[in-house]
Amino acid sequence: MAGPGEGGALVKLNSLGTRIVLFFVALLVLVQGLGAFLVIQANAQIARQAMDQELEQGERVFKQLLAQNQARLEQGAGILSADFAFRQAIATNDTGTILSVLRNHGARVGASVMTLASLENIVRADTLDPVRIGKPFAFPDLIRLASVEGRASSIVIREGRLYQLVVVPVLAPEPIAWVGLAFEVDDNLAKDLHQLTGLEVTFASRTEGPWHLHASTLAPELRVSLEGALSGDDGIGANLLDVGGEQYETRVVPLESRPDKRVVAILQKSLQVGLAPFHRISASFFWLTLGGLILLVGGSLVIAGGITRPVHRLADAARRVQQGDYTRHVQVENRDEIGELAVSFNHMLDGIVSREKEILRLAYEDGLTGLPNRAMFYEQLEQATRLAKRGSHAVAVMLLDMDRFKAINDTLGHTVGDQALREVGDRVRKALRESDVVARLGGDEFAVLLATGGADAPKVVAEKIHKALEEPLVIDGQPMDMTASIGIARFGEHGEEADALLRAADVAMYEAKRTKSRYAIYDPSHDERRQEFLTLLGELRRAVDAGELVLHYQPKMSLVEDRVTSVEALVRWRHPKRGVVPPSDFIPFAEQTGYISAITRWVLARAIEQCGVWERTGLRIRMCVNVSARDLRLEDELVHVISSSLQAAELPAGMLCLEITESALMEDPRGAQATLRKLRELGVATSIDDYGTGYSSLAYIKQLAVNELKIDRAFVAGMEADQRNAAIVRSTIELGHNLGLTVVAEGVETDHELAELRRYGCDAAQGYLFARPMPAAALERWLSGARDKPPGQRADILGEV
Amino acid sequence: MRDSAGAPVPDAAVYAMPATGPTEARGKVVEIQQIDREFVPYLTVIQTGTTATFPNRDPILHHVYSFSPAKSFEIKLYSGRSPSEVTFDKPGVVTLGCNIHDWMIGYVLIVSTPHFARTDASGTARLRDLPTGSYEVQAWHPRQREAAPAQSLALEAGATRSVAFRMDVAPRKVKYKPPLDRLKY
Repeated sequence: MAGPGEGGALVKLNSLGTRIVLFFVALLVLVQGLGAFLVIQANAQIARQAMDQELEQGERVFKQLLAQNQARLEQGAGILSADFAFRQAIATNDTGTILSVLRNHGARVGASVMTLASLENIVRADTLDPVRIGKPFAFPDLIRLASVEGRASSIVIREGRLYQLVVVPVLAPEPIAWVGLAFEVDDNLAKDLHQLTGLEVTFASRTEGPWHLHASTLAPELRVSLEGALSGDDGIGANLLDVGGEQYETRVVPLESRPDKRVVAILQKSLQVGLAPFHRISASFFWLTLGGLILLVGGSLVIAGGITRPVHRLADAARRVQQGDYTRHVQVENRDEIGELAVSFNHMLDGIVSREKEILRLAYEDGLTGLPNRAMFYEQLEQATRLAKRGSHAVAVMLLDMDRFKAINDTLGHTVGDQALREVGDRVRKALRESDVVARLGGDEFAVLLATGGADAPKVVAEKIHKALEEPLVIDGQPMDMTASIGIARFGEHGEEADALLRAADVAMYEAKRTKSRYAIYDPSHDERRQEFLTLLGELRRAVDAGELVLHYQPKMSLVEDRVTSVEALVRWRHPKRGVVPPSDFIPFAEQTGYISAITRWVLARAIEQCGVWERTGLRIRMCVNVSARDLRLEDELVHVISSSLQAAELPAGMLCLEITESALMEDPRGAQATLRKLRELGVATSIDDYGTGYSSLAYIKQLAVNELKIDRAFVAGMEADQRNAAIVRSTIELGHNLGLTVVAEGVETDHELAELRRYGCDAAQGYLFARPMPAAALERWLSGARDKPPGQRADILGEV
Repeated sequence: MRDSAGAPVPDAAVYAMPATGPTEARGKVVEIQQIDREFVPYLTVIQTGTTATFPNRDPILHHVYSFSPAKSFEIKLYSGRSPSEVTFDKPGVVTLGCNIHDWMIGYVLIVSTPHFARTDASGTARLRDLPTGSYEVQAWHPRQREAAPAQSLALEAGATRSVAFRMDVAPRKVKYKPPLDRLKY
């Protein structure tokens, strides 16, 4: 697993590992540094204090030793001076004897120099220097002091040497002379004092000029250095002296301090020696820190490695996932946080895999029916065509479009529509073999790919499908008739590419719909018809502006008054080349494209205008205009067009009646209700057209603000043949009346029908029995001629139109 | 004899030197005793040629010596009668000491005249039976700060003359003397 980044990761400064190591090292150095600083400071202070104490104690001991030494010397001198033989020898007054006894007895007490002086302070003998004989004794003060105290002593300098001089009288028993015993202050004394105090001891004096060292425990070269240091520092008060490049803690004990003569003892302790234990502690501390640092670097490298290695492994795994390799899970080594991350990563990987599968599924599957979708179908079709090109497969494409499915969706709602589609898909799937592909392309459109079978197989399959759809379909207790139009295209014969085959099947399907046949096999002539339709649609767009639309009016006969009380305005397209195009050829497409709104606007304006013209010529006929579902949705616009047109024609609103199909009302029941209420407030009458084809309940009708019901022509036309239709018509008329509505029958063609309608109490009738739709002028003529004729003779008139 | 403060000075020697010249004594003997570790008397005045014995009255030994130029001698440890006697044949002052008792001190003044006396507690000394003639009267004290000047005197027979001396004397420094009972051990 040693990835390229792993080895280099620890070297990189910004890597996690390096940062962990650096952090810990910095932490240790900081803490230890602080600790060292505090310890060293405390130690230094303690060491200095200890040294101070040592020196102080040494100084005390030194002073005491010096005093003891002096007392001892004085005592020795006193005993010596009282020695009878000594006194006897002194009394002889013989210089030679005196000198020898001085030497002899001086050696007994360890005196370096012995001097005898007369009571008059004149030197009579001196063991060091005979020249002094006869001269005054050099230290008369001591004699003066001794004559009072019995003895006296002092530190003196003689011939450049330092002595402790003790002066005592020679008693016989009265003083007969003075004897001076001088004990030299030498290195031995300093050494003795050093052994007792533990300090370096130096005796120095200064008379004139520089300091002079008399005795010391220091090495010879250090003495020179100390002399230099003393001379450099006149005050001699410094606590710290540099001697031979080493620092000495120093105490100066004055032994004799007169303006012309200063004698001091210098007590010293080397800082290096004094601070040695402290330096040992500091060194230990340093090694401890160094050892800790090495352990720490090693330890944190291991820990950092423990963190970064799995992290690198995760990063590698993430790179693999990025490249689309989902096959390998990350190995989980530990149950620590990184281990948890690895587990989560693996879960994430599984999630990505399953989601990708789901996305693929969604991309190729129709969510509603679970069948393959258009994309999947297209891929399969392309694959089939590729195979077919190589071999001699018989490949066929079938497109299914449900008939009147829009009505189901509009009237029963999308939930029911979706259920119906699922059922259709299920039935088609079951009707086919496993090897055939069934897909839903969208909306109510299905497709079938037949990859096996002969040239007739599509026809057989189409029959099978129709058979399967014929089975009664009941959804939410609502029985439905499901039929489909099927277009068939065959590979080779109708195209070799998937697109071509699909297009051919589509054209064939439209042909099947147009001809209302169950299925159609593609024929190139279908293309022309389709082209024609498309052209028509394009031409319709300018039909309104070009004035190609005209209105025909079909009279409505009041059976109560036996006269024409209203007319239904019906649009006709007088095509410059094709002649009159029937509404069934363009209105459905106008509805699909939304162009219907413009047509409705035109029709309303034109019809109201015509109504106004008739009104002014004394012809009072109510105008009925058809309004589509789409028009109802444009509520405000509709109301505005109507009121402004009525105003322009100077017509009361009651002269206008809007006919709305039952299915249009059911498409948006709540919106339709609101629109109808507004129209009613305006004073416009409303009528429900094609009543009985939709699925509206009477309870709903009751809530609607309508004035009239128009029974669908299918019921009226079937009255004669089927008693059931007659019953429906009869009950509808009764119900309408019960709801306070007038009832109109459409499509009345025979006298029998008329007679029956009269019998049932129908309010009005409309149909070829009375008149076909006709232009305004024709209607006017028809009205003037037909006014007094009985209904039975009117067929002749109809024939004239 | 009085000091400058007018106090009487005891233990001072007063002697008259006749104008006829010095004279020596023959065969005269005096005692200078040691009693309770002191020389008794503290000051002994004698005429030149007089012999002194140093009887020891103490139960312990003494070692009497003198390093004085007028007479240097020593009588080593003894008790009771002094084993030897000393004849002082020169005028002068002899300071007596005991080698084993540092505080013991005594003085012997040797004069070349038979006419001498010591002042008593009232500072008075009497010289009796002096032949007529001219004298030089002198005074001396072991602790005198300064020698008093001699006074000349012409003496007639039967007459009594007084001579006044003024002399300052240092106080006697007494060295430490341990109690006797302790010495018995």
